[in-house]
Amino acid sequence: MNSVNQYKSDNLSSDTILSVRNLEKTYPNGVRALKGLNFDVKKGEFLVIIGLSGSGKSTLLRCLNRLHDPTAGEILFEGLNITQVKGEKIKLIRSQIGMIFQHFNLIPRHSVLSNVLMGRLGHTKTWKSILGWFADSDKEQAMEYLRLVGIGDKANIRADQLSGGQQQRVAIARTLAQNPKVLLADEPVASLDPATCHSVMDYLKKVNQELGITIICNLHFLSLVRQYATRVIALRGGEIVFEGTPNEISDSWFKEIYGQSAKEVHIN
Amino acid sequence: MTSFRFKRTVFDSLCFAFLLAFALYAFIHPTENQLLDLTTNTLFFLGLSLIGALVSYFLSKRNIITWGQMIFAPSHLTHNSEELAWYQTLWGWQAAVTLVVLFAAGLLSTKFSIMDLLDEDGFNGAVRLFKGLASPNFSILPKAVVNVFETIFMAFIATALAIPFAFVLSFLTAKNVMQGPVSFSIYWLLRLVLNVVRSIEALIWAIIFSVWVGIGPFAGMLALMIHSIASLAKQYSEMVETVDEGPIEGVLSTGAGKLQMIWFSIVPQVVLPFISFTVYRWDINVRMATIIGLVGGGGIGTMLIQYQGQAMWGEVGCIILVIAVVVWLMDQASTYIREALK
Repeated sequence: MNSVNQYKSDNLSSDTILSVRNLEKTYPNGVRALKGLNFDVKKGEFLVIIGLSGSGKSTLLRCLNRLHDPTAGEILFEGLNITQVKGEKIKLIRSQIGMIFQHFNLIPRHSVLSNVLMGRLGHTKTWKSILGWFADSDKEQAMEYLRLVGIGDKANIRADQLSGGQQQRVAIARTLAQNPKVLLADEPVASLDPATCHSVMDYLKKVNQELGITIICNLHFLSLVRQYATRVIALRGGEIVFEGTPNEISDSWFKEIYGQSAKEVHIN
Repeated sequence: MTSFRFKRTVFDSLCFAFLLAFALYAFIHPTENQLLDLTTNTLFFLGLSLIGALVSYFLSKRNIITWGQMIFAPSHLTHNSEELAWYQTLWGWQAAVTLVVLFAAGLLSTKFSIMDLLDEDGFNGAVRLFKGLASPNFSILPKAVVNVFETIFMAFIATALAIPFAFVLSFLTAKNVMQGPVSFSIYWLLRLVLNVVRSIEALIWAIIFSVWVGIGPFAGMLALMIHSIASLAKQYSEMVETVDEGPIEGVLSTGAGKLQMIWFSIVPQVVLPFISFTVYRWDINVRMATIIGLVGGGGIGTMLIQYQGQAMWGEVGCIILVIAVVVWLMDQASTYIREALK
């Protein structure tokens, strides 16, 4: 059984892509969302982070791509300290880390293809992107990624006319267009019905296994965790209370993570 | 001193000072020069207020309820043990007398005169004017129509030229876009400048511009444009500040820069409201363009004031009709377009 908060070794092995050390995030209103987190992420992992709402999952993910700024601690991305960088460097880091969200965060009035091309914004000159002059190779790749997630035929439809599951797949295609090394997923299926849930998680698994992209995913349901995760971290009150493989989550750990009166809900 | 006591004292002392000042004005009949002596008059009024404050204090010590006490004190302190009618109380008389005196002062100040209203010659002149308006002289209709087109285009160009400036300014004056110390100072400064520009009525701007570029539609157009830039920028920026955060996060997470973020995540969300505000502004500008003509802004307004100056009421009636039709049509079109945009 893995112990809580065990920070592995100080040597960064070559297959560690992300390393978090003593990460702290305190909001201006005084709320301590993250209290000294320590963990590593290996290349090609499908790491799932579980925990109650308010346990700090979303904050953690947003610190990793600097949408939020950490208050203290370090984040190392491929060995480079990205905690304090500013300006152009942040854009560079973000272009290598894709992110999908619970509410999809697409541009509703733009077409599906246009949304996928957003993934190339970090690699396209500003004036060209504003005029819509994306490279032909970019457009072809975007179409390929749309086909990969099974909605190649919807390329010219307005994004807000798709169903939830389809929109999330467009979001996945958008991150793929970045050719990222890591894909962050903040509760990607929390707004979807059970069947669509599995469909989207299957695409994430496909992206992880066929394209070798490391995935860090926040999830609510343990049954999904057991099906998709290679490793699990559980947060509670901004601290890590469990780190290990999905099988290792026993009943007692379940209660530790979710609270004494929690009962497991299965989605099929 | 607790809050209500302070407010009560201020109110009562002002009341008292006002009544005394009015009485003195009525009995002494100050000359124009005495009225213009601002320093003496202010000091005098302050002195009266001080006396009023003392009176108020004195009365409250005697537990006599003043009008100020009725208004500001909590209810348990304004309740009379014997159920008195207003005319049996001090505060009742204080209120009544003050209101009557206020009314009288108002009528005197506006030189209200029943005699002027009933004056036979004046009345006959008015009848002549209304008859003229009611039977418009359509011989000048062609000229009026030409001029009203000048006015409509003045409003159109003013709005159209204002759009690009207001568009850029809307992002520079939006709190959620201008974050960071340098940006915030720019935001603050621009907001201040635009507020000042907007407070100066377009009519005044027209006067300023007619001195600069000469009387005519160009001055009117510039005046409307400047005012429109400031008004549109404010309305636009309010929309920018209320956009959904989601698409912004989505675009930023790909490694996009600030301009890309604005163009792809904010602009699509505000396009429709922007168009709606712009159409509304064009509507307002058409109305204002007619008035601006009165101070030399060209178009139908200038034609109106020419005929009005010569008391040619038939012609004035025709022009008024033309203006009314245009404004009504513009209003219909504007409502129709904005409905379609929803």
